[in-house]
Amino acid sequence: MIKNFRYILLWPALLFALAPVYWMLTISLKTEVDQFASPPVWFTFTPTLAHYYDAFMTRGFGQYLLTSAIVAVASTACALSIGTLAAYALARFELPWHLNRRLSLWILSTRMFPAIVTAVPLFLMMRDLRLLNTRASLIIVYTAFNLPFVVWMMRGFFADLPRDLEEAALVDGDSRLGALVRVVLPLVAPGLAATAVFCLIVSWNEFLFALVLTQTDAAMTLPVGIAGRVTQYEIKWGVMSAAASVAIVPILVFALSVQKYLVRGLSMGAVKG
Amino acid sequence: MAIKFQNVSKAFGGTCVVDDLSLEIDDGEFVVLLGPSGCGKTTTLRMLAGLETVTSGDIYIDGERINDVPTQHRDLAMVFQSYALYPHMTIAENIGYPLRVRKLQKAERAERVNRVAAMLEIESLLERKPRQLSGGERQRVALARAIVREPRAYLMDEPLSNLDARLRVQMRGELKRLQHQLRTTTIYVTHDQAEAMTLASRVAVMKKGRLQQFDTPMNIYNQPANRFVAEFVGSPSMNFIEGEVQGATFVSDSLRVPLSGEQLSRLSGHSRLTMGIRPEHIQVLTGPRDGAIAASVYVTELMGNETFVFLSVGANRLIARAPADFRAELESKVWLRLATEKMHFFDPSTDYTDRSV
Repeated sequence: MIKNFRYILLWPALLFALAPVYWMLTISLKTEVDQFASPPVWFTFTPTLAHYYDAFMTRGFGQYLLTSAIVAVASTACALSIGTLAAYALARFELPWHLNRRLSLWILSTRMFPAIVTAVPLFLMMRDLRLLNTRASLIIVYTAFNLPFVVWMMRGFFADLPRDLEEAALVDGDSRLGALVRVVLPLVAPGLAATAVFCLIVSWNEFLFALVLTQTDAAMTLPVGIAGRVTQYEIKWGVMSAAASVAIVPILVFALSVQKYLVRGLSMGAVKG
Repeated sequence: MAIKFQNVSKAFGGTCVVDDLSLEIDDGEFVVLLGPSGCGKTTTLRMLAGLETVTSGDIYIDGERINDVPTQHRDLAMVFQSYALYPHMTIAENIGYPLRVRKLQKAERAERVNRVAAMLEIESLLERKPRQLSGGERQRVALARAIVREPRAYLMDEPLSNLDARLRVQMRGELKRLQHQLRTTTIYVTHDQAEAMTLASRVAVMKKGRLQQFDTPMNIYNQPANRFVAEFVGSPSMNFIEGEVQGATFVSDSLRVPLSGEQLSRLSGHSRLTMGIRPEHIQVLTGPRDGAIAASVYVTELMGNETFVFLSVGANRLIARAPADFRAELESKVWLRLATEKMHFFDPSTDYTDRSV
């Protein structure tokens, strides 16, 4: 009874979450006449792929997609490798003067001010480094912004792992790094997956810094590219919806493929197993 | 491989866990570190393994000071209480891990894993994962992983404490045979005095971070250095009675025991004493005898092969071992004869940390 009741509540929630996605998808497939029909055409329209063709063949959305993918994957890889090592050190080595706690809080504090505060300083720094309009600038900035989350998430996963296993690996003759790679990391794989998804989504969707740091087509990411279709004279709803529909696919595929780990990762440590 | 602890201390924060420990272990010995929980025995083992730093003092292996040698270069093998099997690897990979990190060829690795698995009778488990194994099987795998690379010494941290009673006794015997076969120095930590007595060539009894006695099991049992060792080793525990020497007799509020000339000369100068006597050295008689001590039966426990008789002697409570066919009603009157030459005496003013007198 209670279970059924829960499902009754789930349906409106699902509707609420998916309605905008449905609207975006249908807009991307509608002709401009159908897009603005009043009352709206919900289900019965003649689908067209014209907007997709427009977006990816005649305009540069393919390029944006590539840039987004490179920036998201590279920054996630950087943040994960640096952050995981930092988190492992903070979780396992006892530093003097309560530095474990202090450093962790300091790392977290870098995310306590609004991102916009750093926009201008970062712009000036990237300009001086000749990195404006490059993918490298975005990779660096996204890595920096994801790093605190990686450190904090991974620190929790490491702390939950019994020390015995690493100690056994050390006694068996392995080095610290060897024990980390061969014993510890495979065991926190669910946590790594959850953290990776988190970083990918953040980098993939990021808008502010991409807008500030890149203006050329070659360096622009998808969110900025999509927003750029809102122009002085017209709003290209069809092209924007088509590009946005494509933009959600990689994250969806990745999240579904690591779903098993994701649930385990996010609930890891909640219950002693 | 000979191991030497020289004035080794370990403190966590302000608490001293191991206090000025000096211990010399000869090559091929099976040494058991015995003591109640919190006595520093596991910390001692972990310092030897390099998993804890040494606060002061030195540890030597074959004359080489190893305080600053990292764990992975000490060439010791350790069996953890939790077994610490790598959950994501198969049993074969678990056992082969120490060989893998030493970059042995795959073929030789497989050969050695199989040989050790055959020795411990776990060949059929090699393809499984640790979680599919029972406690006893995991224990064997942990042992196999330690044995496979022929280390300089084995360190074992309560390896049998997670097994059920029957399996524990069986594995205890196998461990002993194994060590006899391999002849490798073994340091074994336990709080179970039966394991210590059966396995060790020498036992180091520890309490609150301090070494109490380091000797053969026989000497630990027959000549305990102090009251703590006397009480901790032996089951049921040794009986203790407070009293004093009056003339040539040990006198307590409820009993009088004549002392031999040899005992008297040893005890001269001590007035207050604690007398200790093991349960097997108290004979329970159902009728009065000359010089026997009157007592009443508090309760009897039939163990099958013998009977433990709990006795009230005045305000004292004693335990005696009696034959299996011993029968007595509760509260019935019995008489005790003490094997006076087996009595131990301790100085009660220093209580637990004294030397026996």
